[in-house]
Amino acid sequence: MISFMLIITASLFFTGIVIRTKSIFSGRKGPGVFQPLRDIWRLFRKGVVYSETTSFIFRIAPSIYFATVITAILLIPFGDQPGIMSFPGDFVFFAYVLALGKFFMIISAMDTGSSFEGMGASREALYSLLAEPAFFILMGSFALFTGQTSFFEIFQSLHFESYISYTLGALGTFIFIVLAMIENSRMPVDDPKTHLELTMVHEVMILDNSGFDLGLILHTTNLKFAMYGALIANIFISPGMALYYSIPLFIGVEILFAIVAGAIESFMARFRMNHNPQFIFTLTSISILIFLGVLLMLGRIS
Amino acid sequence: MIGIYLILSFVLSLILFFAQKRIISYFAVWSFILLQWVLTVHAFNRRDLASLEYFTFDPLSLILLGILSIVCVPAFYHSYVFFNNRKDIPRQRGIYYAAMVILIASLSAAYLSNHLAVTWIFVELTTLSTSALVYHNRNERTLEATWKYIFVCSISITLVFVGILFLSIALQHQGFKELSYQALIIDAPLLNPFWLKLAFLFIFTGFTAKAGLVPMYTVGIDAKDKAPGPAGALLASVLVNVGFLGIFRIYEVMANTSIAQWANTILVIGGLISIFVSAVYILRVKNLKRMLAYSGVEHMGIVMLGVASGGAGYYAAILHLVLHSFAKPALFFQVDQVYRIYRSKSIYDIGNYFAYNTPGAMVLLFAFFIITAMPPSGMFISEFLIFRSIFESGKIWLLILVLLFLTLIIWSLGKNIFKMLFIRTLGFKEENIKKIHPAESLSQFMLLALVVYLGLNPPVELVNLIHDATQHLPRKI
Amino acid sequence: MTNTLLIILIISLIYMVVANRLYTYIAILAFQGVALFGVAFIELIEISVINLIFILFETIVFKAIAIPVFLNYVIKRNNLTREAEPFVSNFISVVIITGIIIGSFLLSNTLHEDQLKGIFFAAALSSLFTGLYIIVSRRKIITHVMGFLIIENGVFVLSLAAGSEMPMVVNVGIMLDIFVSVLLLGIFVNRIGDVLKEHDSEQLRQLRD
Repeated sequence: MISFMLIITASLFFTGIVIRTKSIFSGRKGPGVFQPLRDIWRLFRKGVVYSETTSFIFRIAPSIYFATVITAILLIPFGDQPGIMSFPGDFVFFAYVLALGKFFMIISAMDTGSSFEGMGASREALYSLLAEPAFFILMGSFALFTGQTSFFEIFQSLHFESYISYTLGALGTFIFIVLAMIENSRMPVDDPKTHLELTMVHEVMILDNSGFDLGLILHTTNLKFAMYGALIANIFISPGMALYYSIPLFIGVEILFAIVAGAIESFMARFRMNHNPQFIFTLTSISILIFLGVLLMLGRIS
Repeated sequence: MIGIYLILSFVLSLILFFAQKRIISYFAVWSFILLQWVLTVHAFNRRDLASLEYFTFDPLSLILLGILSIVCVPAFYHSYVFFNNRKDIPRQRGIYYAAMVILIASLSAAYLSNHLAVTWIFVELTTLSTSALVYHNRNERTLEATWKYIFVCSISITLVFVGILFLSIALQHQGFKELSYQALIIDAPLLNPFWLKLAFLFIFTGFTAKAGLVPMYTVGIDAKDKAPGPAGALLASVLVNVGFLGIFRIYEVMANTSIAQWANTILVIGGLISIFVSAVYILRVKNLKRMLAYSGVEHMGIVMLGVASGGAGYYAAILHLVLHSFAKPALFFQVDQVYRIYRSKSIYDIGNYFAYNTPGAMVLLFAFFIITAMPPSGMFISEFLIFRSIFESGKIWLLILVLLFLTLIIWSLGKNIFKMLFIRTLGFKEENIKKIHPAESLSQFMLLALVVYLGLNPPVELVNLIHDATQHLPRKI
Repeated sequence: MTNTLLIILIISLIYMVVANRLYTYIAILAFQGVALFGVAFIELIEISVINLIFILFETIVFKAIAIPVFLNYVIKRNNLTREAEPFVSNFISVVIITGIIIGSFLLSNTLHEDQLKGIFFAAALSSLFTGLYIIVSRRKIITHVMGFLIIENGVFVLSLAAGSEMPMVVNVGIMLDIFVSVLLLGIFVNRIGDVLKEHDSEQLRQLRD
């Protein structure tokens, strides 16, 4: 329960911190931290316009997207407490429920009949395809390392003792951060601020959504960011920490993650479209390396 | 003695490098030939003794050292002729002679070393000196050949080093430390076979760059093509011998272990594919020196098949190597004369050689018979023995394939050489042909006669030396 | 700590294959030199001082400083375009390199009995095959030299795995190999630049049958 509340809370200010960081790095003061929230609230109160070429998929997709992300959040543990749902193998469920939401977004984008949205949908599908092995191999390495298969038990038994486990932990954090940037369609894979449809990936999929649906989708992005931040925070929260210590640590990690995301967005340009697949596949290579490192540590291979 | 030899060679090469007057160069060259022969005689007097802890005068190295000393004399003579016929630039002459001296010295040291790492160091030195020789004429094509030679030989030497490292890791597991050949032959049966296989594979692949076998033979072809004639002769004979030496020594180490059969298979595959490749290319090639270089690949392939087959094959392989090391330089020296007359190496431009240089044409004719192993060539004897040992080892299919490829090679070589000797070329201007003094062909006649003599009536000394060289190899029952 | 450094070495191999600019290659080579210095320092701390100083000198001065400076000089002198031009797209290169790394881990697994030094073999074999791959898949001549240097790094790691009883002779061998080879290769790249005007290995195609 605690993790659910904490993630919802973190999602309220996450995007605001990212935008604020970007503004400060550009020399401006920037909007307030809760400005994105106000934008979403405004969108919630507006009416929706549906195109005539769309079908029921277009109408239900944003809600399903939101629902899947909420379901995924239910799985995230927090320190000593498991998530609201927790069972062995739940990280597989986690990955695939997120994939379900993404699938509905993709088909709703294609449902509009616009070629731009179809192009964005295909790119989004490609990047998810390439990023999926990275996530699974990484979680698999952690599962192998600790011998458990649910999020709660993995993070509970994760402890670092030797240099090599610190390295693997650091690499794992790095991969999680980059995965989060990819899944949320951020730099260096996708520029949320681009105005040219030919260069958009995620933004172009939601061009036709409006009003309440758009508000849902924007808030879902916030929730996803907060969710990945919670996963990263879990690597640092060791079991047995008291609540008054772990909650500020959690909030601190989320804020730090938001600042890092803003920094990456400010300082890197988006890669050329051709280079994106190779960048994402490099993540898979590094996670394979982590996997081999874990095997090495366990002595399964020498 | 080895130490003195190496230091003196280095000093002589420095003198040659800096010499401005030709008298000084010639004096230094003669001193070096004298030094080389002193070393050879000294080595023959001290058979099986060690010197400077890393060098031993064991039978195989004595054979190869003798070949080197015999071949280097006409090589220097023909270099002298070569430089007489062109403008004298002291710098270029200096580099050439200095590189040749360093090449011969490092080859002698590589032959005589009894430690795997010392062999490796001296083979590395031969790469450097060879590249200086190949880059003698400074133009685009020799630059390309030199670049490729340095690069591929460096990688091959690195592969040999990796193989040496694998061997030393395997040794450490059992607690041994020595990398000398004697110690390796004794210790090898106790080592983990997987390490032995890897080490053998890497060392074999690395040394094929020098020996001219598949897979690394290509740079040897370019190097022998682009180096000046006398240098090419050395590259085709004594440098190939050091490649063979490396492979043979590691084969000796592996021959008494459990991977002996596997090593035999590797040698058979390498030898067979080398013969196949040389057959394919000799059919196509139009450059005379490249043709001779591919013929060298073929002969090394035959030698490898002899080593892999065992029994009489060991004796025959080493005999074939010895004879080839005398026959091939004769051909290369003669090709140098051909080039001087026709100013081209292409088969299309050379014709009716008998009319322009009768002694030289006779050399070419005899050398054709000798190198293709027709009687009375000594190589006929050695090849016959190798074929017999292949037959006795049971691989009839191998024998059939090899004979087929050899037929193709003989046909192609014969076609090209007879065309060059007898058929006129169109468009060849008959004025201003250089006169070649018949005495220049004398050395080649002597070398070819030596091949015939050693084949038909080998001296007892040589036979005993060859038998002693193969003493570590397993005997067939 | 050596395990960490060797894993970082392998990651730098992945990065090398993806990189586009020649200066990135040189920077990664220098970084690998420093990482090898660290590994050598930790592994060989118990052998004789002279040998240790020699090896440290070799890694830091040669691999991390002298050779990158020399390569920089060669690039500037020949006005090479600053991009490495691969024959295959970078995506396929990454896939192939990942395959190579997995393969070398598996190979080192079958190769080895005790647990201590498997990572050395994996790192050495990965560097060896990655160096060969870089030589084969790049068009420029200077990248061939860089591939050769990566192979040398792999051989260095392998010689560390062979233990601290490596005789001095072999160290001299490594140094001779690297020093002379790189010097000669650099000289010849300069010559090729003077003669051929284009640093494409496509130009080196005149010698064929």
